[in-house]
Amino acid sequence: MFSTVKSKTETGTAEAFASRPPRKNSKLYKFWKNNREGWMFVSPLVIGLAIFTVYPMVQSLIWAFYTYTGNRYYFVGFGNFVHMFTVDPYFWKVCGNTCFYAFLSVPIVLIASYLLATLVNLPYKGIGIFRVVYYLPCVIPGIVSGLLWKDIFATNGIFNSLFALFGYHSEFFQSPSMYVAISSIFLMNLWGIGGGMILWLSAFKAIPTQLYEAAKIDGGGVLARFWYITIPMSMPMIFFNVVTMLIGSFQINGTLVYGSNGGKGEEEALYMFGVYIYNEAFVSTKYGYASALSWFLLVFIALLTGLLFFIRGRMNRED
Amino acid sequence: MSETQAAVRTKVRQKHEASRFNRSQKRREKIFRIAMYVLMTLIGVILIFPYFFMVMKSLMTSEEVASAEIVIIPAVPQFVNYLRFFQDEGYISGLVNTLYVIIFNLIAVPLSATFVAFGFARCDFRGKNALFAFMLSTMMLPSVVTQVPLYVLYSKIGWLNTLYPLTIPNLTGGGAIYIFLARSYFQSLPKEIDEAAKIDGAGSIRRYFYISLPLCKPIIIYIMVNVFNANWGDFYGPLVWRLDDSFPSTLAYRVFYMVTQTVVSADMVNVRMAAGVFMSLFPAILFFIFQKQLIEGVAMDGLKG
Repeated sequence: MFSTVKSKTETGTAEAFASRPPRKNSKLYKFWKNNREGWMFVSPLVIGLAIFTVYPMVQSLIWAFYTYTGNRYYFVGFGNFVHMFTVDPYFWKVCGNTCFYAFLSVPIVLIASYLLATLVNLPYKGIGIFRVVYYLPCVIPGIVSGLLWKDIFATNGIFNSLFALFGYHSEFFQSPSMYVAISSIFLMNLWGIGGGMILWLSAFKAIPTQLYEAAKIDGGGVLARFWYITIPMSMPMIFFNVVTMLIGSFQINGTLVYGSNGGKGEEEALYMFGVYIYNEAFVSTKYGYASALSWFLLVFIALLTGLLFFIRGRMNRED
Repeated sequence: MSETQAAVRTKVRQKHEASRFNRSQKRREKIFRIAMYVLMTLIGVILIFPYFFMVMKSLMTSEEVASAEIVIIPAVPQFVNYLRFFQDEGYISGLVNTLYVIIFNLIAVPLSATFVAFGFARCDFRGKNALFAFMLSTMMLPSVVTQVPLYVLYSKIGWLNTLYPLTIPNLTGGGAIYIFLARSYFQSLPKEIDEAAKIDGAGSIRRYFYISLPLCKPIIIYIMVNVFNANWGDFYGPLVWRLDDSFPSTLAYRVFYMVTQTVVSADMVNVRMAAGVFMSLFPAILFFIFQKQLIEGVAMDGLKG
């Protein structure tokens, strides 16, 4: 009798054990049940961000305070940054080049593509063909357009033989002057303004035509309509793209293709920040210094983005 | 009587003047229209010319390429340059490697991006908004910051000189922008279909594969075309993740190598141009096929502001 009772309790506990998980009132269980599906779906992203974004970022921040050339670390504190700002012979040159490029290339592309977009926004027959033709250079890979424009801008290339008719000659990418060399990039970028054109066209589409009609009746000229209707109405769409374009411009590395001396250009006229970091990291294997440089770029871009968002917020409030 | 006659006369005159004004305005409009067409054609010719020039140069003989005088149209088109491109060991092994990378990524990126996006769009979980915001903020991150530590990491696990750095990281969503676009697309779909399947007892994975995935064909096409273009023209990735010259080159890297070589014999210039034409062929074809989706995608990109 005693034994049967014992066995009963035993089987009872065993059963209880087997069906233990559904303790549905437990907070932890509820949390697990509510969240596991979502976290399962985003787990690839979480893993990816952890390995390919967060870990390298933290690691490079640490290395920014070390001298690390592949085998040994030496802690140098802010030494890398001090060296960057005071001793480094290229740093300020590279900063100047990159800022000149980034702050001018974005407005140039924006304005040119705006003009082109207003042109192909006309309600004419066959306008679609022109849009396709204008967009076509954008689909060509950057490496190919680099190859092509290097050839076009060559010393005895087609542009120079055209210029020779007017008794003029330019070295373009190989010019020792930063203004000439970087302006050649602007010229090359103009070839790909189709992307900006599409962007403006989609922004135009979102603006109700009544606004323009009302402004016309009230006597608003072309400029007034542009300034008071087109710009504010397309701002939400354009703004984000301006920010990404600007960030992208600061990281330009296409000069590797068409710049002479391994992307530096003559007398470092084409030397851009991205290429500089590449050279410091993978040609000179100064990992610590390259990390410091890349963190400088990161902070600079973050401050710039913050400033842009701040200005935009102020503008919105004023409206 | 005479007064009414005068009134009629002035009315007629006004009408005449109005019609004359209309006619002259119409004429002015017509001239304007023709001027605009001329302007647009001119811009089109200017924009197409470099490409035309590249095609022409790829068909020139080596003498024509090297001549001091500029030749625009070759005397006899040398299609043999393309044959030489396809016989070149470097270009062809590059092409094969590029195709490996692209085929892998064409499957991996749309699948993983829509998978993650499904979680963001259709599931509720703690920390969703924070994770999403963090993901978006990584879009602003300059990629050079992660380059150096990743290089060291890859060198430790033996990934340098392989195609892994160009493929495996893409299993994790393939980039914030694709996840963002796929999420927006899922959110634009009616939620009721998903909920109906849920009531019928379909699990979340089943709902993703059988219900949501077939519905998001347009966004998958957009992602695929962009993945193709990004990997097809990527010379910087192979440049960074290489250790020595025995690394698997891609076609874009091979072209980059040929462009940056300081000394190139003249008889390789036209073959290089042929490679350029070949490389721009596929993106152009894709653009013509998927024009509508791509342009709508650009517009969608713009909406995220």
